[in-house]
Amino acid sequence: MFNGFSHSVMGASHEKTNLVCQDSSSYKIGDHYAIAVVADGHGSKKHFRSHLGSKFAVEATIEAIDRFYDDREALEENLPANHKLIIKNIEKQIISNWNMKVEKHLAENPVTNEEKSNFAPEEFEAIPPESYYGSTLVAAVSGDNYTFGVQIGDGSLVALFEDGKAVMPMEYNESAPANVTASVCNSNAAGMFSSFYAPNRKLIALYCSTDGLYTSFGSEHDFLDYHTIITSQLVNIETFKEIIMNNLTKRSHFGTEDDISLSCIYSENLLADRIDLINKRVTENKKAAADRKAAMLQKKI
Amino acid sequence: MSNEHFTEPEVNENQNVSPLDDFDNAETVSAPSVSDDSILDFDDDPLSATSVSKKSLVIFFLIDTSGSMKGKKMGELNTVMEELIPEIRRVGEADTEVKVAVLTFSTEVRWMYSTPIPIEDFEWARLRASGVTSMGAAFKELNHRMSRNSFLSSPSLSFAPVIFLMTDGYPSDDYKEGLKELQTNSWYKFGLKAALGIGQEANDNILAEFTGSKDTVVHAYSGGQLAQMIKIIAVTSSQIGSKSMTLSDDTTHELGEEDVFAAKQKLLGQQIQELVNTQTDGDDVPFDTGW
Repeated sequence: MFNGFSHSVMGASHEKTNLVCQDSSSYKIGDHYAIAVVADGHGSKKHFRSHLGSKFAVEATIEAIDRFYDDREALEENLPANHKLIIKNIEKQIISNWNMKVEKHLAENPVTNEEKSNFAPEEFEAIPPESYYGSTLVAAVSGDNYTFGVQIGDGSLVALFEDGKAVMPMEYNESAPANVTASVCNSNAAGMFSSFYAPNRKLIALYCSTDGLYTSFGSEHDFLDYHTIITSQLVNIETFKEIIMNNLTKRSHFGTEDDISLSCIYSENLLADRIDLINKRVTENKKAAADRKAAMLQKKI
Repeated sequence: MSNEHFTEPEVNENQNVSPLDDFDNAETVSAPSVSDDSILDFDDDPLSATSVSKKSLVIFFLIDTSGSMKGKKMGELNTVMEELIPEIRRVGEADTEVKVAVLTFSTEVRWMYSTPIPIEDFEWARLRASGVTSMGAAFKELNHRMSRNSFLSSPSLSFAPVIFLMTDGYPSDDYKEGLKELQTNSWYKFGLKAALGIGQEANDNILAEFTGSKDTVVHAYSGGQLAQMIKIIAVTSSQIGSKSMTLSDDTTHELGEEDVFAAKQKLLGQQIQELVNTQTDGDDVPFDTGW
């Protein structure tokens, strides 16, 4: 049985500039599968509706994945041999859903004069309408013995499989142009996704986060250790949820001041079975962090 | 069975109470009020084991430790660098975590530490001078380390680095070849670069080739000037380097990466020149007469 949580907090920098939170997050527990998803609206001048774009991205993703799970047995039978094609089709469906949501919203809510007032007329005309809503997206799905994920733009995905080790399984798409921020609003968005597929592995917990979380850490080791610690506390999720929420707010305010979203799904049964292993990992990680710091402070001259 | 949960972003609706209040209380008061359940004690928060990192900036010092630096020059440099650390620490106290990496070059090139060190933990290792001036090799080593896979791997890295070169002489190797390699590095391109020539022999034209502008090159001819110039450059460049300039004051006009770089480098040149022009020579003994 899967469980989960998700949370978004507004960054201090956005409070200062009177921007609304650009992040959205959600999770869904289905029948023998679970989905975690976060999205980070670009929040800059030409993406003036990106707080809505991130919400649409999250909704579009859950709707697209759910559609593939209408016939779960057929999907799971096909995944081992055709996972690349299936994941590619899910990505296309997400982008299609997102564009439909954007078109509908724009038709019902045309751009106001106030929104246009920040641009010279020719400058405004040059912006493709879907760019108003530009957003990143990180999403993952886990079934009974497999996990896959998709990503476009910044953000992170951390998974703990049976061995209790926190890993970042996403295989990044190196063909995406280096000087273009990948976004659901790009004209070739469906081709800019990164993805991963982990077959024959049972998942303990999986986390999707927007880049505000990653950038609040001094090292990638700390970032991964953070997820191991959260996993160790998921057995008391109801009491721990408030601590996680407060910690995200603390990270947003004292870290890089960006919005932060975290979405988690986890297997209650496997977690209960492996909790001793996870706690052992937490202790090992703490010692490794102390060893790294001691090594770092050794002078070489 | 299906269960979908959409999270609305948490917004503080009460403008008079900052959500930070809880954290401030919890972090500054040793015993938070037990009567208020909303105040969390972060000492009991298992997540506090992984600390929060502020936006971070790396300052690279490239220091000539060749034989010609021997004596008063190196003695003064060691002293001023020890004094400088607390001053840079103060720059970082606001909202930036400053890290320091020191690369020395003589016959060999060597890093003082194997990775950039947070300024709070940084201790200066006194340097000794000997050998020749392998500046080109230092440029190559810097190019190698200024990478997301090496010295610039911190997730919290938010600003292009500050790179500060100090030398008293002419390079003994092919510095142009090293500089050519370094000039392909994006961190170098967008970094804030400044240089200090020490004594009569240092060639300001070479230093300007490194920084890209004469405004960010200064010269010290005496021990007193050396101390003043190092402090001016290091403190000014770290202040400017840690400044967020992606948005201009009206928050609607955005600056691109190249505009931010150009604006910062220009500001650094102006401020260094202004500060240098206000310094007095005093009764200092020049390096080249009697040091």
